[in-house]
Amino acid sequence: MRRVAVIVAALACAGAAHAAQRVALPSPIAPLSAQPPLAGGARTSAENVAHQVSAATNVAVAIDEAGTPFAVTTTQRLDVRGVGDYFFTIGAPVLAVRAPADSASVPGMRTGSIVWAGFDPGERVLISRATLEPAKAVPALPLRIRVRRGTVTLENSTGITVETFSADAPRAPLVAYLARLRGEVAHGRTPLQTSVPLASAPTNERITVAAPLHITGTIGRQRIDLLLSKRTRIHGSGRIELRAEPVEHVDEVTAGSGRVLLREAIRATLTLARANQYDEFLGNPDPAGSSRTVYAYRTSSPPHAAPIAAVGRNRRTWVETALVVATLAAALLAGAALWARS
Amino acid sequence: MRRLALLALVVPLLAACGGNRETTKHLLVVVNAPFSSTPYLGRAIENGARLGAAQVNTMGIRVGDEHYSLTVRTMDNALSPARAVANVRRAVSDGAVAIVDEGTGVDASWRIAARKGVPTCIVFAGGQSLVDAETRPNVFRIAPTDHGIAFRLAEYLIPKNVQVALLHDDSDYGSAGAKQLARAFAGDRESVAIDETVPADALDLSPQILRARRAHATALLVWGRPATIAAAITAARLAGWNVPFYTPPTGADPFVRQQLADHPSWVDGLTFAAGRLTAEVGAQPFTGFAQRYAAAYGVDRVGVRTSAGASVTEPPETPMYAYDFVNLLAAALTKAGSTDPAKVTKALEEVTVEGANGDERAFNRSSHDGVVDDDVYFARFHDMTYAPVKDDPLSATLPPIPQTTQ
Repeated sequence: MRRVAVIVAALACAGAAHAAQRVALPSPIAPLSAQPPLAGGARTSAENVAHQVSAATNVAVAIDEAGTPFAVTTTQRLDVRGVGDYFFTIGAPVLAVRAPADSASVPGMRTGSIVWAGFDPGERVLISRATLEPAKAVPALPLRIRVRRGTVTLENSTGITVETFSADAPRAPLVAYLARLRGEVAHGRTPLQTSVPLASAPTNERITVAAPLHITGTIGRQRIDLLLSKRTRIHGSGRIELRAEPVEHVDEVTAGSGRVLLREAIRATLTLARANQYDEFLGNPDPAGSSRTVYAYRTSSPPHAAPIAAVGRNRRTWVETALVVATLAAALLAGAALWARS
Repeated sequence: MRRLALLALVVPLLAACGGNRETTKHLLVVVNAPFSSTPYLGRAIENGARLGAAQVNTMGIRVGDEHYSLTVRTMDNALSPARAVANVRRAVSDGAVAIVDEGTGVDASWRIAARKGVPTCIVFAGGQSLVDAETRPNVFRIAPTDHGIAFRLAEYLIPKNVQVALLHDDSDYGSAGAKQLARAFAGDRESVAIDETVPADALDLSPQILRARRAHATALLVWGRPATIAAAITAARLAGWNVPFYTPPTGADPFVRQQLADHPSWVDGLTFAAGRLTAEVGAQPFTGFAQRYAAAYGVDRVGVRTSAGASVTEPPETPMYAYDFVNLLAAALTKAGSTDPAKVTKALEEVTVEGANGDERAFNRSSHDGVVDDDVYFARFHDMTYAPVKDDPLSATLPPIPQTTQ
């Protein structure tokens, strides 16, 4: 909803902008859908200190023979800098959480979140290993895998259609912005939003963007290394071990018109925003901190439900028991009477 | 028959007369503590719980359409596990919604409370095995754990390259501490000069102190009752050995200073580990709490004076823990939307309140300890009062707390 509001606000700005000759381009970091990050993302409620936090997350997705995910576990490493107390809440549909031996502290767990609380003497590494509720985590994964008769289909599931606008615009500011954006992304800096002048009234437009995924790994004995924007089919079979990493990248500026460049700039910022979103699968309590997420898909055996033992229902109510006892007693008495007369 | 008809007419009318007035129902909170054996500790827990309840009751607790207030009742466990268990049995049968406990007998009493899902919060004992979110789901704690104290002491002492003599008495408290110290120093045994058990009721520890000195110890870490700590300091100083002393929170117990009141210089330099009293926001929240506490119950005087003649007072640390639990309990009742103790127990894992020291106070589903190990700080005595040390990252950020009055 927040993302729709961002787009609508940008469009509203655009509508009013023609007269003012400037319009805000979409933010290259604002999320375009409710998740990821999962469960509302991460937040901090420390007292005085704003910690600098770098987040690195590995999402392990166990898939069955058909490629359907059945288990999701995450390992998140938070590198926390800054002396002082911290109280981080990492939103996630968590079923269980623990700390590996190299974590400086132990995470807590609440309904829908992982909790970190403590004191940071300057540098602290917090690592959580969490088992997530598959039904809630799987819809937020960036890659779908389907295995059918010797063909493996890889589908980028990050695509989303958003409302935006088009218009004529002077080329120079757009060329400069795209070059700056490209440089910021190449150097790992947080890309900034900007505004550009327009040369005509903006019109509504809907575009679909997706976070490009760098897919590496193996399908059977076949090595895979590709950039996935939409969908691809690979002939092969066997055990699947694939890593998917969102790619933050801006193409070189083309020699198109101002209208074409404006469309490219909008697409570039929205694509970056989408990739940034999938790099924050579990969120980062530091809004300005860096986040990276790697998704690892691996064929595994789903746990089988324990067979239900055939248990005879031989429990009786007291009435039934009394009737049985009375019948047996009557039969005994009748038998005794017959035996006495014989 | 005519009387019955008249009664049937009058009773609903009388009931209707009070229709708009909301009645406040009472929820019972039991404080199970050693009022006869160690009255100072018992009263500290009781007063903290009462202060918390008084604050909660100013607004009351709304659960559904009902309005509740908290009533605190005390039961004396006399440091006897048997009496503690009997108290919990009575508290549960009287419908207590929660128990604030010093810790004695919890190994047995938690099961009795668990049958009705009644939450029990320990506010003093730090034994590691007392609290386990998985196996004892109704037991919580707001107090530093022995584990946290021991590991922080090791973390503080090992980098100083001292040869530590580990002395612990044979009380339950000393034995539990010895276990945690053994684990904390396990990775660096060469830092330990000697590890000794001393009798908890010994008046003279000269032989043990002499052995530690002969083992070339350059620091003494004494984990035991206040009397043991006082006896160890006395023995060392009488022998002319000016070795630095380190202790768990019992080092700050008024009894140690009372015992050494004739030799105030012997207390100087004593360093103890304890739960932090202040948060990053500064001393103001805790001093505000201490003022409210003093206004309600008076200041707790240690019974000694500084060199300038000021009377030394004890900051209300243990009352703070009981106070925080009562506030968490109120938040949990609201969150649960029910007074069913079992539902309140579950809700306690999901709520956070601002503690009396200004810090976040909370439990969660995997940890029922409300004081995390990181919250253990170090303070050092000078002139019968103490201040946070400067050579520990956490302690260096903490302001000193006023501890004197005229």
